[in-house]
Amino acid sequence: MIPALGRTLILLALLAASGGALVGFATGARPTAVGWLWARRLAYAFAALMALANLVMEYALLTHDFSVSYVAHVGSRSVPTWVSMVSLWSSLEGSILFWGLVMGVYVAVATWQNRDKHPEYMPYAVGVWLLCGAFFSFLLAGPAQPFSTVPSPPLDGPGPNALLQNHYLMVIHPPFLYSGYVGMTIPFGLACAALLVGRLGHDFIRPLRNFLLLPWIFLTVAIVLGGWWAYEVLGWGGYWAWDPVENASFLPWLTATAALHSALLVERKGVLKGWTVTLVIGTWLLTILGTFMTRSGVFNSVHSFTQSAIGPTILVFLAAALILSVVLLTLRVDSLAPEGTLETGPSRDAVFLVQNLLFVLFTFTVLLGTVFPLVVEAARGVQMSVGRPYFDKMSVPIGVALLFVMGVGPALPWGRATSQQVRSALLPPLLTAAAFAVLGFLLDVRNAWTMLALFFGGFTAHVTVSEFLLPVRQRMRSHGEGFLEAFGQAQRRGQRRFGAYVVHAGALLAIVAIGVSSTMGTSKEIQLRAGESTALGAYTLTFVTAERVSEPHRESIRARMDVSKNGRPLGSLYPRMNQYESQREPIGTPAVRTSLTEDLYLSIHNIDPDSGTVGLLVLVNPMVGWIWIATAIMALGGLVALVPSWRGARVAVTETAPVAGASPEGSH
Amino acid sequence: MATAPIPGAAPARTSRMNPWVLAGGLAVVVPLLAVLVLNLGRDPRSVRSPLIGRAAPAFSLAPVGGGAPISLESLRGRPAIINFWATWCVPCFEEHAALTAAARTFREVHFLGIVYEDEEATTQAFLAQRGSSYSSLLDPEGRTAIAYGVFGVPETFFIDGAGRIVEKYVGPLDRGTIAALIARAKGGAP
Repeated sequence: MIPALGRTLILLALLAASGGALVGFATGARPTAVGWLWARRLAYAFAALMALANLVMEYALLTHDFSVSYVAHVGSRSVPTWVSMVSLWSSLEGSILFWGLVMGVYVAVATWQNRDKHPEYMPYAVGVWLLCGAFFSFLLAGPAQPFSTVPSPPLDGPGPNALLQNHYLMVIHPPFLYSGYVGMTIPFGLACAALLVGRLGHDFIRPLRNFLLLPWIFLTVAIVLGGWWAYEVLGWGGYWAWDPVENASFLPWLTATAALHSALLVERKGVLKGWTVTLVIGTWLLTILGTFMTRSGVFNSVHSFTQSAIGPTILVFLAAALILSVVLLTLRVDSLAPEGTLETGPSRDAVFLVQNLLFVLFTFTVLLGTVFPLVVEAARGVQMSVGRPYFDKMSVPIGVALLFVMGVGPALPWGRATSQQVRSALLPPLLTAAAFAVLGFLLDVRNAWTMLALFFGGFTAHVTVSEFLLPVRQRMRSHGEGFLEAFGQAQRRGQRRFGAYVVHAGALLAIVAIGVSSTMGTSKEIQLRAGESTALGAYTLTFVTAERVSEPHRESIRARMDVSKNGRPLGSLYPRMNQYESQREPIGTPAVRTSLTEDLYLSIHNIDPDSGTVGLLVLVNPMVGWIWIATAIMALGGLVALVPSWRGARVAVTETAPVAGASPEGSH
Repeated sequence: MATAPIPGAAPARTSRMNPWVLAGGLAVVVPLLAVLVLNLGRDPRSVRSPLIGRAAPAFSLAPVGGGAPISLESLRGRPAIINFWATWCVPCFEEHAALTAAARTFREVHFLGIVYEDEEATTQAFLAQRGSSYSSLLDPEGRTAIAYGVFGVPETFFIDGAGRIVEKYVGPLDRGTIAALIARAKGGAP
């Protein structure tokens, strides 16, 4: 009954999506009011059907209906209710169903928001969205069916992947990741619409940029949540391993970040239209590549869904999407005529270009490192891994260079700068840069790249703060307002600009924190018997006892470690080993004590409560906590930039009077 | 920079088609697709366990339903397939029919099941209901599964006549895969 209901909903969603795609394209080519009405109706129908199908699956998961194949694969009576709920995205078929839900919500919102705007573009955009929706509905209807009927249902199932049950971060990471990944379909559809119409007008860059920014915020948070999860769960003490699946989420982030910046040049100067559209299309293609990577089993990773037979289907879709995108760009990109010229002398414009090229270089570097093992395996039949050395060696210089342009760009004016302007813009921040470097040296930083990161970090921090305060100072001077009032006024009038600099502040903090944490940590591995102590840095650790803990879905052994720093007791930490019912290998949960300056990280290698011994990995990681804080700042900045353009889309035109020479909204 | 395809910077409507975009796009897309297609042929479930090429860990286990224990030693001289499974594992249902059929077809190959984390009574009921053409052994404390590094079921090991592990396969088997891997296990015999 439930399987048949689910399958019916999926088939109807497939019908709505494919019908809507046809109507969308037809209406785009030959606009009619009734065509646009039906394209919209079918888009809403697709969203509603996907939402219903997800509800039905949740119902089956919560009622342990093992006649539904997906529930038989991932369900279990012995897991807590919250695990049953999030099992929706714990395995392949369910994750694609969830994908459909996210896609439906995005399509419905984007269609609703633009229902009476951009009439020449929107039917095409809806057509492209629903074409993608049709493909994922097709996957759910055939190759990755979650609603198959199990003829003789088992009495109980194995439960979801134990890693999912091990940490709450795994509950929130996938929804964020999907909201980022799937959301990139919306700007992709808008970019395709611009190409098909043959125009990218000033009015249309706004929805394009906003719908790029929204999934960008989700993706930023998701990438870091994934790293945080790895840090809190996997127990090797790091947060990023350049694993193919991590790269799969990072690649579209890089191109999306580049596109967010080049979209500003489109908006301000009417240049780089084709380039921006290419970046947006590339971003979406990279999300599909990432989908293929995580679901084909071609790449080995701790994060991937390895038992999957849908690889070939996704590959066909990816190939078609890649080739059609190249053809579309080839045929139509020249119709997006520039309305101005790009300044190539010393100017903010030129730095934007450099920044864009750096991001694209970064994308290609990571892409090459990710697929290179496949090239080797295809050519020589040897399994190999490119691993961290390559990625670290390549990404550190690019990261530092990006940190540098993030300071230089905003410091320079738009249009060609005189050498006097260049000097007065770039010299003062050098003082802060030097101060940061000296501070680092005093705190024992000796690694050259970390030093450089601190130097440019200081430079960029100076520029970011002064750009942040520039309109405030101008208001205080010209309107005689106090700081707080001027801040409020300036912030309201240039909220996008404020948001952008908040994002920059977060990004520079993140880069510096990554640099410091990856070069300044200390660690040791040690075997302890009950009562014994060990010291690392200022910390003293005493192994008190090994305890067994029993929960319904897992058995754990935890070590009680008493921690003191410089002789002052800080309480106890409990790193643990968990044994799940469905898995033979135990999974460790490290214990992390986070503070603003550094983390103390304890991970169990082996533990034996009978003989009272524990093997521990102990790390002191400086500044790791700042990576999470920096990400929150970036996400916040993104929201600050997003909200007014969302709200103000209708009233924007009234507020364009510049504030005493400061660039108004959107100067960066 | 002169040749880089930054299309927005190009003069408008000089031509309908931009050859630079086409060349650049294909230069990225074609090799990428070629690599992905070539690797798709590889079966990711055929796992390179460190045990491959080594002697299979010895065992001597009692079959489900009682009887004399069966040991790995006693299988020497002919290729063997050892399938770790459980009644609570849905993919194991799927492959059970394929394995039963294959065991009837390939009479020169020993087929053995080893029950992973399951009760004898449920296993016996399962086999009685679905039928089987080969024995399944009980691994009460999971020692054999640990020795073989079994992570989750189903996992299947292909062992040649000399008792060496030739292949480890994770996930449900179908008839074609079984036949292909048996051919490899035979080729691997001394």
